[in-house]
Amino acid sequence: MTWRAALVFAVLAALPGVPGISQYSLLLAFDALLFGAIAMSLDLLIGYTGLVSFGHAAFYGLGAYATAIVLERGVLSLWACLGAAVLVVGAYALVVSYFATARRGIYFALLTLIFAEVVYTFFRYTQTFGGSDGIQGLPDARLWPGAAIDTPLRKYYLVLTYLALAYAVCRLVVTSHFGRVLVAIRENEDRARFLGYSVQRYKMAICMISALLTGLAGAIYPMRSAFATPDLMLWTESGEFIISVMIGGLGTLVGPVIGGAFFTILRDKVSSYVDWYFIVIGVVLIVIVLFMPRGLLGFRRLLGFKQWRATA
Amino acid sequence: MDYVVAVLAPQLLHGLVFGAALGLLALGLTVIFGLLGVMNFAHGELYMLGAYAGIAVIGWTHSFWAALVAAPLAVGLIGAVTEVATLRPMYRREPLYGLILTFGLALVFREGVRQIWGGDMRRILPPFTGSTPILGMTYPDYRLFLLAASSALLLAIWLFFTRTRAGIVVRAAVQDAEMLDGLGVDVRRVFTLTFAGSAALAALAGLLLAPVFTVYPQMGVEMILLAFIVVILGGMGSMGGSVVAAFVIGVAQSLFSLWMNPQRVAIAIFGIMIVVLIVRPRGFFGREGVLE
Repeated sequence: MTWRAALVFAVLAALPGVPGISQYSLLLAFDALLFGAIAMSLDLLIGYTGLVSFGHAAFYGLGAYATAIVLERGVLSLWACLGAAVLVVGAYALVVSYFATARRGIYFALLTLIFAEVVYTFFRYTQTFGGSDGIQGLPDARLWPGAAIDTPLRKYYLVLTYLALAYAVCRLVVTSHFGRVLVAIRENEDRARFLGYSVQRYKMAICMISALLTGLAGAIYPMRSAFATPDLMLWTESGEFIISVMIGGLGTLVGPVIGGAFFTILRDKVSSYVDWYFIVIGVVLIVIVLFMPRGLLGFRRLLGFKQWRATA
Repeated sequence: MDYVVAVLAPQLLHGLVFGAALGLLALGLTVIFGLLGVMNFAHGELYMLGAYAGIAVIGWTHSFWAALVAAPLAVGLIGAVTEVATLRPMYRREPLYGLILTFGLALVFREGVRQIWGGDMRRILPPFTGSTPILGMTYPDYRLFLLAASSALLLAIWLFFTRTRAGIVVRAAVQDAEMLDGLGVDVRRVFTLTFAGSAALAALAGLLLAPVFTVYPQMGVEMILLAFIVVILGGMGSMGGSVVAAFVIGVAQSLFSLWMNPQRVAIAIFGIMIVVLIVRPRGFFGREGVLE
């Protein structure tokens, strides 16, 4: 798998060199890869641990607001933005994961959803943070003084670098002993507990990793679009992250990245032709759940490819 | 005393009215969850469809009462078709799939309504106006009717589940569908009819509340979160708990809005839920062992 991932990243890195790639396509690629990175982080919970988070939009949005607030204060360092996101998202995720992991099954989904809705409501109605307009018109961040991330090409490489690092982290997680315990928890929580693992601590740990990765993706988002709005935290946004995981395939790392990219590009293309793209998205989702429960990557098995689900 | 009559009492009644309607919504959600194991994310959209089907029927017949009968039937039919076509294969899978499938259904319904009726706010006029003096104040007749109708429906549903054979069959299916199947009951039909009934109930709640609120495609999204909170607070799968929790949330929301602005109210409601879950993880009436 690793050489294949390396190949994919090499292709992605060469993408801007393809003749005829417009600035617009580069920004669409930015969105696609960012969405893919989030879906990959979310799949650590859904696919590997069996926890469905319906509140990832809050981690994403908090990360975006952290960047927006830092940039708005005139601090243009990329590292300050990312650091702020880690602090804010980390503190919030600690609280959510503590309470949400104390419950099983549907409770986890609903608790993450409701915590996220509290955050959304707070930002939506707090005028200090711009209310429903959010924080607009942000300056470009800088990698170091003089190196502004200001062109679509630089923004694209920023996301690509992030995706590569996030992939490395996720892969480290799922191939480690820790990752195998997660899969054990997914398969049979009671048995994992009887084996002596403190299940909640494992769940909290993976929640924190997934939340921080999503929060960092959120911190990168305003560097492309120069704004952060409360809509980033709406629970339908969390739903779109889950859709991406489902499209790509549960329990893999590359699958959700493909799913996130597919979803972003589908939304962009369909919405430029018709204004009822949500119907298309909804139908695609229903068809996938009904007929391809293992997503695009899992679907390959029907075509004679290898086993779909990471048994690691 | 003046404060009580002029401010507190009407607000309390508002809360009861809203709570009763919320109860109708939450009851459907809780029965479907108990029976099918599916947390129906499209439930809010069925509620919304009820209001729009009402608008359509009122457009043809100019009668709110005709709509009150026809709209739930139409949405119930949509529910039955949906259950057969999409939910049936989900029962044997992990709950995740039902959750996500219904999320997709919600997108389709919401956007479909926007395409047909547009995204504007609409109003349904109450079938009668006027107000009645009650407890030293005057209160709109339609809201009193709403409270009476919702409460009567809640009572009827309770009687259905405790006194009729059909209701007992549904409860038996919640307990052990396989056993019921073995006893010769067509469980698939029980599932379909229950889902259709839950959809009709949501539609009825949507249409009943429409003259008090406004009708727009997003209306279901905003209600469903409250309904989820009600279901969790009441204890998942507990029908009595859902009704009690619905009244608690309805009244709490209504009273809080006397002293706080709307966003604080929303956060306070979420706060109540989080506190209850910490103190009583199973909600008010959650049974031991269910889902824990």
